[in-house]
Amino acid sequence: MPVRKIFVAGAGTVGQGIAEAAASAGIEVVLSDIDERHLDIAINGIEASLNSLIERWAITASEKRTILSRIQPVVGLKNSEDCEFAIEAVPEQLDIKKQVFREFDRNFDAQTILVSTTSTLNITEIGRVTRRQDRVVGMHFPFPIVKTAVVEVVRALKTSDRTFEAAKDLVVQMGREVVEVNEYPGYITTRVMVPFINEAIHALMEGIATAEAIDKAIKLGFGFPIGPLELADTLGLDDLMILMESLYKELGDLKYKPCPLLRRMVRDGYVGKKVGKGFFTYMNGSGNHADTGS
Amino acid sequence: MRILVLNSGSSSVKYKFFDTGKRLCLAEGQVERIGLPGSLLHHKRFDGDRIRTGVEALDHGKAIEIVIAVLMSENHGVISEKGEIEAVGHRVAHGGERLTESALITDEVRKAIHDCIELAPLHNPHNLRGIDACKQLLPDIPQVAVFDTAFHHTMPASSYIYAVPYILYRRYGIRRYGFHGTSHRYVAGRTAELMRRELASLNVITCHLGNGCSVAAIKKGKSIDTSMGFTPLEGLVMGTRCGDIDPALVLYVMSKENLTVAEATAMLNKHSGLVGISGISSDMREIENQAERGEERAKLALEVFTYRVKKYIGAYAAAMGGVDAVTFTGGIGSNSAIVRAKSLDGLEFLGINLDVERNRGAIGVDSEISSSQSRTKVYTVFTNEELVIALDTERIVSSLEHQRR
Repeated sequence: MPVRKIFVAGAGTVGQGIAEAAASAGIEVVLSDIDERHLDIAINGIEASLNSLIERWAITASEKRTILSRIQPVVGLKNSEDCEFAIEAVPEQLDIKKQVFREFDRNFDAQTILVSTTSTLNITEIGRVTRRQDRVVGMHFPFPIVKTAVVEVVRALKTSDRTFEAAKDLVVQMGREVVEVNEYPGYITTRVMVPFINEAIHALMEGIATAEAIDKAIKLGFGFPIGPLELADTLGLDDLMILMESLYKELGDLKYKPCPLLRRMVRDGYVGKKVGKGFFTYMNGSGNHADTGS
Repeated sequence: MRILVLNSGSSSVKYKFFDTGKRLCLAEGQVERIGLPGSLLHHKRFDGDRIRTGVEALDHGKAIEIVIAVLMSENHGVISEKGEIEAVGHRVAHGGERLTESALITDEVRKAIHDCIELAPLHNPHNLRGIDACKQLLPDIPQVAVFDTAFHHTMPASSYIYAVPYILYRRYGIRRYGFHGTSHRYVAGRTAELMRRELASLNVITCHLGNGCSVAAIKKGKSIDTSMGFTPLEGLVMGTRCGDIDPALVLYVMSKENLTVAEATAMLNKHSGLVGISGISSDMREIENQAERGEERAKLALEVFTYRVKKYIGAYAAAMGGVDAVTFTGGIGSNSAIVRAKSLDGLEFLGINLDVERNRGAIGVDSEISSSQSRTKVYTVFTNEELVIALDTERIVSSLEHQRR
């Protein structure tokens, strides 16, 4: 049976991406945040994302209206009937995630599956605050969520097979491929990509080549659609550094230690596309870099 | 024979319930928004009784259960028990190269329909859902599949082979299949009826101009070419589809705009055609209104649309070595005098003389719209694919019963 309705807590970038992807696949979404202002920003963000799809001819204006009509914004973690999944997409901090899961557990039907979108925190630990640890599972949506065709579905220690299968089915219904992973810091995508990006930053810092040359070599040399430095700009250098520090702390290996140049750029506020400048300079958020920075 | 005709789409099931003996549609309607909140049933009985009501239709099985229930309903129904449904006819989008005529649905035929999913990923899976649901709900009642592609199976290889590496035909079945077959077949037959001639003695060009648009060249009753191809995207300009274009432009735009396959597919299928040229609407009525008001891009859309129809009529007249009749059908073909007139403008050399008054006056009925002197006749006809499906179903089921006796 296809999923009809899900609840998404947290209307930031991740929550918006999940809501848009689910609604585009015909699933009703209750999108929640702490106040109206955050929800307004989120709905505007989703609308802007859908508008950019219309500009690229990917969807029509009437499809946009249908997709938006499936997203119902609500303030707070109120019980919403018939939600088969409750997904947390709140900031990557253990206490906040635990608090949300506690409320999920209290407010939602016993059958509802609880999902965490964390990529570095421990889902078993987050799930421990609930009375339904068999119905707790992880889903890591690599960024940018709307465009990325893969989701890492994460089995926590006590996740039941039924829950895991249901989570995989939801991902497929959202038109994405599933990669099964066991709980371990960084899973596949973050774990493999972060040291790769960091190495590229080292290469830049050590003066091996310009940022443009590094990205060009990797893109054309290995058929990557995007180079590591532009990818870093896309992810946000501040968020990238948080991921690295978390991996460094959890795994203790020096290869996860953020490159000094990354630290300096974050300190200086050059955190990537969202501010128009990172390793490259961006014009009005178009995504195409205009000239090399750094 | 009482036959239920079903057209199962992604989120809807359309139905018509026929008494083929009386050639009467007893009831028709559809279940919409299947699997979504707020599913709806529209139902209309032959005597004009109508209902529109919210229903709980989680899947196609549930939707068809609702259809059967309303057919049996005391207040709005037309039968008193399930057993009065003697057969079910399904519209199936793609029959591929193997299913070349309407067929009783056996396990083998079901599998063949399933094998065609790759050729019609947006339609065949839903058609199959309808078939499977009926098998469960009406296990003892014979079911027949009528294919949108079947009528065109008589095309010669010179019409259906594309000039691309031949291995692609072998490997992926890439060739012209053509669609709207049931409609072209009905309309050609109706044209012969109106002419009081045998279809087998005529060369007819049928223009199905609706949401999708296609032209067929029907020589002595057999389709020898049609404008839709491997997919329904080829040929005429449509509401939102591009029809014939230079394939190189797709590759060029994809690389210039960095488009994914999905984006390019949506661009050609949903953002092109009338709406693409005009930037106004995909609806021909709106295009005509705006063109009349002098809107340049609407005028251009109308010109491109009708010029393409004209080109195909000329091409197919040449392909058949002459044409006895041109017939228009479909939402636009049956209703737009302007489109018909512009499409035929300048075709006097083919013996086509439109009667302006008849053309304008042809509203709501099948009629001849060429002048009495016109060597080539022109008609407008309301298509009736469901009736064809019902009649095919009756024929196949009767012969089955005949064999059993």
